Amino acid sequence: MLAYLDHHATTPCDPAVVAAMAPWWGEQFANPASRLYRPALEAAAAIEAAAAELHQGLAAPSGAQVVFTSGATEANNLALKGLAEAALSSGNPRRRLVSVVSEHHAVLDVLRYLERHGFALTLLPIDAQGLLNPADLQAALDPGAGGPVLAVSVMAANNEIGTIAPLAQLAPLVHAAGALLHVDGAQAVGHIPLAMEAWGIDLLSLSGHKLYGPKGIGALLVAPGVQVAPQLQGGGQQGGLRPGTLPVPLIVGLAAALKQALADREGRALRLAALRDQLWTGLQALGGLTLNGPPPGPQRLPHNLSVTAGGVDGTRLHQLLRRQIAVSSGSACSQGSASHVLAALGRTRAEAAATVRFGLGRSTTAQQVEQALRAMADALDQASNRSAASRPER
Amino acid sequence: MVAEAPLYLDACATTPLAQVAHEAMEAARQLAWANPSSLHGFGLSAAESLERSRHSLASSLGTGAEAIRFCSGATESVHLALLGAAATLPVGRLLISAVEHPAVNAAAAQLQRQGWQVEPIPVGPTGLLDLGVLESLLHPPTRLVSVIAAQSEVGSIQPLTTIAQLCRQAGVLLHTDAVQLAPHRPIAMDELGLDLVSLSAHKLGGPRGVGALLVRPGLRLEPLLGGGGQERGQRAGTEPVVLAAGFAAALAAARRHQLDGTSQRLEASRDHLLHDLLALPGVRLSGPDPTRQPRLPHHISLLLSDGQGRPLDGRKLVRALWNEGVAVSSGSACSGGSGRAEPSPVLLAMGWDRSQAASGLRLSLGSWLEASQLERVPLALERAMASCGAAAP
Repeated sequence: MLAYLDHHATTPCDPAVVAAMAPWWGEQFANPASRLYRPALEAAAAIEAAAAELHQGLAAPSGAQVVFTSGATEANNLALKGLAEAALSSGNPRRRLVSVVSEHHAVLDVLRYLERHGFALTLLPIDAQGLLNPADLQAALDPGAGGPVLAVSVMAANNEIGTIAPLAQLAPLVHAAGALLHVDGAQAVGHIPLAMEAWGIDLLSLSGHKLYGPKGIGALLVAPGVQVAPQLQGGGQQGGLRPGTLPVPLIVGLAAALKQALADREGRALRLAALRDQLWTGLQALGGLTLNGPPPGPQRLPHNLSVTAGGVDGTRLHQLLRRQIAVSSGSACSQGSASHVLAALGRTRAEAAATVRFGLGRSTTAQQVEQALRAMADALDQASNRSAASRPER
Repeated sequence: MVAEAPLYLDACATTPLAQVAHEAMEAARQLAWANPSSLHGFGLSAAESLERSRHSLASSLGTGAEAIRFCSGATESVHLALLGAAATLPVGRLLISAVEHPAVNAAAAQLQRQGWQVEPIPVGPTGLLDLGVLESLLHPPTRLVSVIAAQSEVGSIQPLTTIAQLCRQAGVLLHTDAVQLAPHRPIAMDELGLDLVSLSAHKLGGPRGVGALLVRPGLRLEPLLGGGGQERGQRAGTEPVVLAAGFAAALAAARRHQLDGTSQRLEASRDHLLHDLLALPGVRLSGPDPTRQPRLPHHISLLLSDGQGRPLDGRKLVRALWNEGVAVSSGSACSGGSGRAEPSPVLLAMGWDRSQAASGLRLSLGSWLEASQLERVPLALERAMASCGAAAP
């Protein structure tokens, strides 16, 4: 059985989440917008309960709005385009956006779109561990750097190299400059501690399928007083901020997934960190591998590891690995182009291709880690140039 | 209290998940749960399932798989169609029918703020588009037309073939909101020469949270969502593979129902019920008369008045009917929320006055119903009308 070690790309929907959704796919199917009869009101109540679950689970400030979306991509688009559009229409003069080079495409693409539409964009560099320097952020937030900043977008944890951003340290800088902090929490929510209010997060995006929930659902949490212009309009659902018939089963599933992920988060993080450390120790013994991102520890997602096999043909390496384990070279969404995150760390295209990202998850076992180590030893042996010459094709 | 289970007659708002869709989703959940963009075996299984769903939908809709863009539903789909197409065109004029879904009106209003001229095409008393007016405006600066293929509140089916022909001859792009039509009639996208078609899964027995925009191959669209470049770069975000499987299975089943007599039986049930309802005092039909004009086969829309001919409050009737164990709607579910009887913009556009336009009731049937279950509906309506009439101020 192929070991699935790609939990940053997606996680399987947990059986308990499937069970929580089941009645809502079945007899309780009424449209919550049809507010005139009881089943619809029950559906509306289920949505309210789910929103409360997210609100509480993410320690959102009182009065924060929970907006359900089709996923983190839509949540990121809504947050950033929504902020920009609201600023334009309200006469708010802030026209600068600040983010980091290692953000997900769903943030970078939106920021570049806004750049084409009159906003100035500053992308901050990262250091060798994937961290941005707070001094760089401070400098970028100076109005003298090109005008006042509207918003700063920083991902809570990187999907490729697992770097955890020091959000609680960054937020005061952002707020002192009168800007808002948007956080893409797709890889962090349910995996590491995250407290929206205490950490000063104004907008938080998340995705169901990254935390053992269903695909097709996510959410944007918006702190009270933050103005976001809707990107879709129509039936007036969700206070007009995101219309469309609410997918009740998916919303119930998202809330159930979050609840479960928060309940087992600490234990899972400890267990997966130990397995990840076991993996890293074993990989180091193989030799020739460079770690991408921070050393295993508090600055790194407990279930993440990313290594580069210098001088190895990446295509060949991944072909060989694919027979034994399911891993990736980087983001699943990059459509074959080289990782911008690894490039920002100074890796060449060839090195990026010869990078292996491991994402451990709820189902990962010590046996699978052993399997991964054997697969890596095997594949490196076969793919590396020295052995390719001396070894017949297997 | 009602002893029998409540009757669900609100298919136009949403439909229960079809058994075949449920099964397809369960299978996909087992085998195709991974990210379809992943290159390993799990990802390939997910991608294979997604592509199979895409091919199935395309063949149900008379087009090729490359036309399908999965998205979160029809609200997103109509925005992607109108805003995405308009962004590739010089600013011009958009024609829409006077009886569009609020999502289309909202997208049109957004284009208006961007400098587009938006011209509503009037409809006749049965909700059918005035083709003469349409034709007279199909010249520059008109660049885009959006027409609801079948109207959700009053069931009118527009002459899509003719509309598509007129638009094609004029070199104007045509988007059609086929959300209500797709469950009941084949949509031959390529044959009709449609440029953009919006669909929603949960109106045809599929799951909520997924829909599709059909895009004529070669047509450029500016994406609404930036991100991972999925769906030919026109709709970013990890595709909901399981939902797509349910969507495809549900549409395939709807197509089968059109061929195996299920749709005909549903239509006969509707005709029978409509006949009985129209025999009640104070009840008249809105929208097309199905014996003479095309109308959605599961759809009944009525205007109701009391003994003195005064229009009743449609929203009160919905509540009263629910107390009789029958779930119906006063119009489009999405325009609700205010709690007061607002005249329906659709009925106003068809020429009814404000109080008549607030007296509408919609009953929409589905294949989950047995004909015998409908027998109690006329009496339930009569009782609901009596209770509302008595309570009227």
